[in-house]
Formats: sequence, structure tokens, C-alpha cells
Amino acid sequence: MQTVLNLLEVEPIRLLISFGAVLFLVLNLAAVLTMAERKVSGYIHLRYGPNRVGPRGLLQPAADVFKLFTKENVSPGRSDLWVFLGAPIAMFIPAALVWIVVPFAPGAVVANLNVAILFFVAITSIGALGVVMAGYGSRSTFSLLGALRGAAQMISYEVPLILSLLGVVMLTGSLSLVDVVKAQGDTIWTWYFLPQLPMFLTFYISGLAEVKRVPFDLPEGESEIVGGFMVEYSGMTWALIQAAEFASMAVMSAITVTLFVGGWQPPLPFLDLGHYNWAWFGIKTALVMFTFQWIRWSVPRLRMDQLMDLGWKVLVPITLLWLFVTAGAMLIF
Amino acid sequence: MLGEERRAHHEGALTEPASSRLVSPDIRDEFGLETIDMNMGPQHPAMHGLLRLILELDGETVVRCDPVMGYLHRCQEKIAENRMYPAVIPLTDRLDYFANMHNEHGYCLAVEDLLDVEIPPRAEYIRVLMCELMRLASHIPSIGFLMLELGAFTPILYAFRERERIQSIFEAVTGARMMFHYIRIGGVKADLPPDIPQKIWEYIESLEAHFQRDFVDLIAGNEIFISRTRNVGKMTQEQAVEMGVTGPALRCTGVDFDIRLDYPYSVYPELQFEVITDTAGDVEASYRVRIAECLQSIRIIKQCLEQMPEGEVMGDTGRRIRPAEGEGFGRVESPRGEYAVHVVSDGSDTPYRVHYRDPSFCNMQLLQEIVPGHYLPDIMPIMGLVDPVSGGWDK
Amino acid sequence: MPQVGQGILKGMGVTLQHLFGQKITRQYPEYKRDLPERSRGMLTVDMDRCIACLQCMRICPDHCISIEQTKRDADGSGKPKPYPIGFVIDDSRCMYCSLCVEVCPVNCIYHTEEFEAQAYNRLELARQFGERPVDPTIDPKPTVKKKKKPTREKAPRTVERPRTGDEAA
Repeated sequence: MQTVLNLLEVEPIRLLISFGAVLFLVLNLAAVLTMAERKVSGYIHLRYGPNRVGPRGLLQPAADVFKLFTKENVSPGRSDLWVFLGAPIAMFIPAALVWIVVPFAPGAVVANLNVAILFFVAITSIGALGVVMAGYGSRSTFSLLGALRGAAQMISYEVPLILSLLGVVMLTGSLSLVDVVKAQGDTIWTWYFLPQLPMFLTFYISGLAEVKRVPFDLPEGESEIVGGFMVEYSGMTWALIQAAEFASMAVMSAITVTLFVGGWQPPLPFLDLGHYNWAWFGIKTALVMFTFQWIRWSVPRLRMDQLMDLGWKVLVPITLLWLFVTAGAMLIF
Repeated sequence: MLGEERRAHHEGALTEPASSRLVSPDIRDEFGLETIDMNMGPQHPAMHGLLRLILELDGETVVRCDPVMGYLHRCQEKIAENRMYPAVIPLTDRLDYFANMHNEHGYCLAVEDLLDVEIPPRAEYIRVLMCELMRLASHIPSIGFLMLELGAFTPILYAFRERERIQSIFEAVTGARMMFHYIRIGGVKADLPPDIPQKIWEYIESLEAHFQRDFVDLIAGNEIFISRTRNVGKMTQEQAVEMGVTGPALRCTGVDFDIRLDYPYSVYPELQFEVITDTAGDVEASYRVRIAECLQSIRIIKQCLEQMPEGEVMGDTGRRIRPAEGEGFGRVESPRGEYAVHVVSDGSDTPYRVHYRDPSFCNMQLLQEIVPGHYLPDIMPIMGLVDPVSGGWDK
Repeated sequence: MPQVGQGILKGMGVTLQHLFGQKITRQYPEYKRDLPERSRGMLTVDMDRCIACLQCMRICPDHCISIEQTKRDADGSGKPKPYPIGFVIDDSRCMYCSLCVEVCPVNCIYHTEEFEAQAYNRLELARQFGERPVDPTIDPKPTVKKKKKPTREKAPRTVERPRTGDEAA
């Protein structure tokens, strides 16, 4: 037993095992999140949501996965097959990879990179590649329009996303997410979302746009371009795209929590749970994800030109302004 | 997100007509730019029924929009020529399946015009009561459809909750939830069941209690809704009149044309209500018109319940309906506009010719006129403004 | 900028109220609501009372009722009367308009509360009531009368209406 535990200390083995654990978590999270999404939407719609498979419908995701596995994988006749099949993978890998740098609890992080924030930014922007691949590979007008929208949207919203991170980086003086969490302290009023409120809101909004959620789900836009870049996918490839979407939504909530809402830190010192502090991280992430879903079922979708206006003419100036304010405040105090 | 100043700026940018956004073909040729042809429908999740739009896209801007109809054509007019006069009524139910009562009413008015039959006042009140309930059951979902087309899924389910409740009332009165076959030549099929007036009253009050919350608070103030609908599908009064548009789509431009007042039929002259108009002539205005018309319908329903006289519900049409040679014409204000029926009789017990003037079909002309210059996602809210029903335009 | 986002927040408040509100779904196969008295379900025929007058067959807009008629002395009065030896209602065509129910002089055809009509084959939906099966695929009243155009001597008895030149006829 001891030798096995010692083996875990050895670096490559620890990295592999912990990354495997995180990957397992991500894949299951996607299933749990589809269930949560359907339940939340059902309750908002005065329905019950899925409640037939298993107790209270909890086995529904398993049934869905079984159904999707057994479904034929159809590809359009003139599609560019390798690009078409590669796109879901190119979407899923970045979404899963970002989890490497997310600190779940003190010491519980796959890789405590000292450039974790840079890593997050770099990996997230790969996601746009998958969307473009899917749209190009499908050879369909709807897909192409979806992919064009997706590329424009994701690249544009990278800018406010990164700029809104910088305030936190300036305050912490470090690019490591573990340092960011540690610097926020264990009281709710020392977390960064209060002094950085405009940055927090900007990050939240551009995060929504980055993971293509309503009101920024233009690449999908089911009422105008049917399913956008994923209109031609079916079976497992479609499931992989869905898993990627939900995983990136979860990772965006996790990063929001880590950067602005104190990560694993308890809201008040006496609520410190010691080794079980990951529960705080889980609760906060779940809350942020709930707000994602709540917004999704409450508001309509923006239009492309309005989306670009919002990004470049509202969010970017706000973040730049608040960067100056932060810098000035740091200079004075 | 979008503040007042920004909104004002936005309006300023869009007060010029949408067609000014179009690049002239010469410029396109000069720079070698190509347009994409795209088929939207007939199999499209958000399209109203089976409509195919042939679109020419310049990026996201629509250059040309040709609606293609006929995917649900059932030869209703021809079928009606081979059915006895009473047997056409259940077929009219299948035309505009969101305004079944109005279809029946229009047809019965046309045949009664041929027959010169006296309709008992109680039957007239029941007809108006049912038609106004039907208007509620059509306007509320059409608001939901508009939101569905804008990407918000929730309002449609609240809308259908109301529609289902109204349908339950219809089922108790007529025996069916959608295809009523209730309004007959000379009156209505049967009197209201004794407990129904009370039930309608209770329902109307419960609807009034949460109408504001579910269909106004949730939608009207939403900044995204406003930015998506204001100045979208903008049309002038002249355009709308030229295109033969009727109903909320016409009234949202400011023309107060309403068959119920301009060509009164049934007991509408005895009832107090207003014709709702708006000046903007865009999608948001049509939403406001529909909301206000729902409230007017509630008002009419209450008056009907209060003023309803006792008595017979079926006039004397004789055992066999066989009108003399001639023509009959009936027009009603359906939720989508003017629904008119023209019946020609040759003296036999089947009509010689039946023609339906359906508002969905006539309002569809707007698409070609106002869509070019808008962005691709704007087509859907414009469909919400026109609000056509597949069964109506294809007959 | 004070009211920015207020509309969205108001809407989100509405959805939050519904999130915790009473649900309205009815779990259909387990829960079946009471049908109102006038509810129109699948048709059924009381063959003992039927006098084979064929009125239901004639009025039916969908041609879904086919009756095969013979003369038979069913009540032993010594006088042969029309007797429905074959009677079929094709539920795949029926549209529950209840015209046949209203026209029946002896009230022998009526609606039941049954509404779940389903089968693997379209012909299985044709329910036979008579002694002898009737082929439901044969249209009971196929002929269409040829009509002559009505003379337009009489003035149309319609209200005067503005006619524009391009009104579709």
C-alpha cells in the first residue's frame, strides 16, 4: 500500500493518474450536466424533465449515451471526412485539457503551472479551430454560416476575456491559479469579484460567449441556421460535441470561481472544512453553472452585429478602463 | 447591457431602410464577391409549417427572399365542391388550424348570406364568445412563437399552457380540442353546458392574474428582445396596404382596419372594444398589438358572458340545406387578419364553388418586400410579425 | 446607465418563480383526465338498431363509413326491410366530426370515450361491425356529379364591398 502511495509521488505517474481522474470527471460531468440542464429547463418550463429511466429519471444520461453509441454515424456525401471526424476531437481536447490547471482544493491540482492563466487562455482559443473544422468539413451552407459566426465570435470575445483576467493578474502578481486562490483569502469580502466587479461581469459575459451559450449561441442558432456547425453530426460525433460544450461550460465556471470567487476558499473563516474544502469549490462552480442555465432559459439570442458591438464597443472599453483604475489604485495604496 | 444612449444610437443607425444595407450588384461584380443561395425549409425547425424560402445571402445579409408555398396543399376548395353544405364545416376547421372557430364562422356567414336564415341572438353571442377565446388561444402562442424564433424557448411553454386551458374549455363545449365543428349554418351545434360560463369566467380571471407576469414582464422589457425586434421588419403604412396585409401586421403600422368594426358582423356592434394600433410598424409593435388585443378579447369575453340572452341556439334552416342559385360572402376578423369566404351556389345541395381568402396567404407577400436587406437571423422575427399558419396559406 | 439589464433581470425573476412553482405536466399513460360529456371519441355502431338508411354514409365528408345493404325480414313481420349486412368504419379516415351521429334517425351510431386508435397496418383501423366484412379500400360514394355553371341572373345577395381590380377571384 505504502509503495503504491509512494509511486503516486513520482512525477510522470502522478501526472498521468491524476489527469486520467480528471478526464473521467470531465466525461461524467458532461453526462451529469445534460441531466441538470434538462431538469432545470423542465422546472422552469413547468415540466418535470426526464423522469422515466431509473429513480426520478437519473439514469437518463446513461440511456442517452447507450442510444448515441448504437446510432449510425452519418456523414454527408461530399464532406471532407477527416476534417469532419476530427472536428469533435479538436473541440473536446481543449475543453478537457484546461482542467489540468484548475485547483480543486489545496494541493489538489494536476499541474501547478506557474503560467496557468496563460495556459488557460491559449488552450481555450484552440476551441475555435474545432468549430471551423466542423463547419468546413460538413460542406453545408448552414454549417458554414455557423462556423463563420463561431470563428468570429470566439476570436472576438477572446479579447475582453483576456483583458478582464489582467486585473486579477495585476493584483496577485502571479500567473498561477493556485496563487490566485491563495491570495484571495478565506473571507468573502476579500475575494476579487468585489474590487474587480466590472471585470468579473465582463469575464462572465465573455465566458458565456466563449462557450457559445444563450444569449450568445449564434454558431448554433437553431431557429435560423438549424444547428449551425453541428447540423450534420449524429451519433457519437454529435455526443462528443455536446460533451465538449458541457465540459467547456463547466471549465469556464470553474475558472470564474477560481479567479473571482475564491476557488476552494470558504466564504467565512469558521466555515473552513480543512481537507473537504473542495466542497466549497464544487458548490460555487455548480452555482455559476446554474446561472448559465438559468440565463439560457430566460433570454433570447443576440444578432451577429449586436454581438460584435457588445464585444468591441462595450466590453473592451470597460476592461481597459478598469485596468487603468486597478493600476492607479495599486499605485496609490 | 444596451443602455438608453446605445439604444438611441442603434435606432439612429437603423432609421434608414434595411435595403440600404444591400451592396449594389455592380460593386459585387467589381470585387468578384459571390452570394450564397440557401434553401430555408420546407424542413426547418423554426419555420411556420411547411414553407420554403429561397434565400440569396451576401454574407449574413439577405439579398433576395422568395417564399415557395404548396407543401401542405390539400385542395380544400375543390373538396368543398363535392361535399354537402353542412359537411364542409369540419373541413374548414383544417384550414388555419390556429383559428378554427373563425374559419367555421366565416363559412357559415357566407352560407347564411345565401340562405337568409334568422340566427338566434344567443347563438350569435356564443359564436362571438368562442371566436374571442380562439383569438386568445391564437395570439398567446404566436407571442410564444416569436420568442422561440428569437431563441428563447421558455415563453412558448407558458403560452401553450394557456392554450391548453382554453382548449379544455372548447372540449367541454364542442367535444373536440381543436377541430371543433361547433358553429353551424343557422346557429351553433348545442347550447353551452350549464357550468361553462362560470368556468370561462374563472379562467379569464386567472389569466388576467398572471398575463402581465408571464407575457409582458418576461419579454417586453428584455434588452435583447428590444434590440432584436425594434426596427426589424419595418414597413410603412403604404407598403402594408399595397401588399394587402390585414390583421395585427397591418394594425402595427397604424392603420385601424378591423373587420369587426369596419364591416360589422354578428353581435360585435353591441360590444365595447377598441381597435389596437401602433405606429412603429416593426416586430416589436406587432408584439405590443397582439398583447393589447389579448386584453381586448378578455374584455369582449366578459361582456359576452354578462349580456348573453337566453333562448334558442339554432335557427330554422330546414332539414336539407339547399340554397337557391346565387352568391354568398362572409368575412370575419381572424387572429391573422381578414378571413373571407365566397360561396357560389347552383341550387344543388353541394356548393358550386367555395373560395377562402386566408390572411396567412395574403400577408405572406410581405416577405419578399421587407426581408431583403435584413440579416439572416431577422427573417425569423419577421415571420413572427407576419405569423402565417401553414394550413392557412396552403388550403 | 441605471436601468441597463433591468429587463433581463426582471425576466429572470419570472423564470426563477416558475422554477420553484407548481408543475402542470400530467403523466399521461398513468394519469388520464376525465373526458367531458360531449367529448368525441371513436365511433361505434349498435347494429341491432341500425335500419341501413345510409344517411351516415352519405353525409360523411371523409367517406369513412361503408355499408352493404340487403333486404331481410329481420323482425319476422313478413315484410323484408333494408338490413346492414356489412358495416365498416375506417378510423384511419374518420375525422370525428360527428355529422353521422347527428344525422342518424335511430341514434345507433355514437361516439365512445375511446380515442387511442393505433395499429401497425392502416387496414387494421377499419373496424367491421356487420356479419360480412366490407372492403374499406373501396370508396363508398365515388361518383362526382358534373356540374353546370350557375346562371348569374340573380344579383348576388351580398353586402356591398369595395372591389379592387387585382382582387384574386
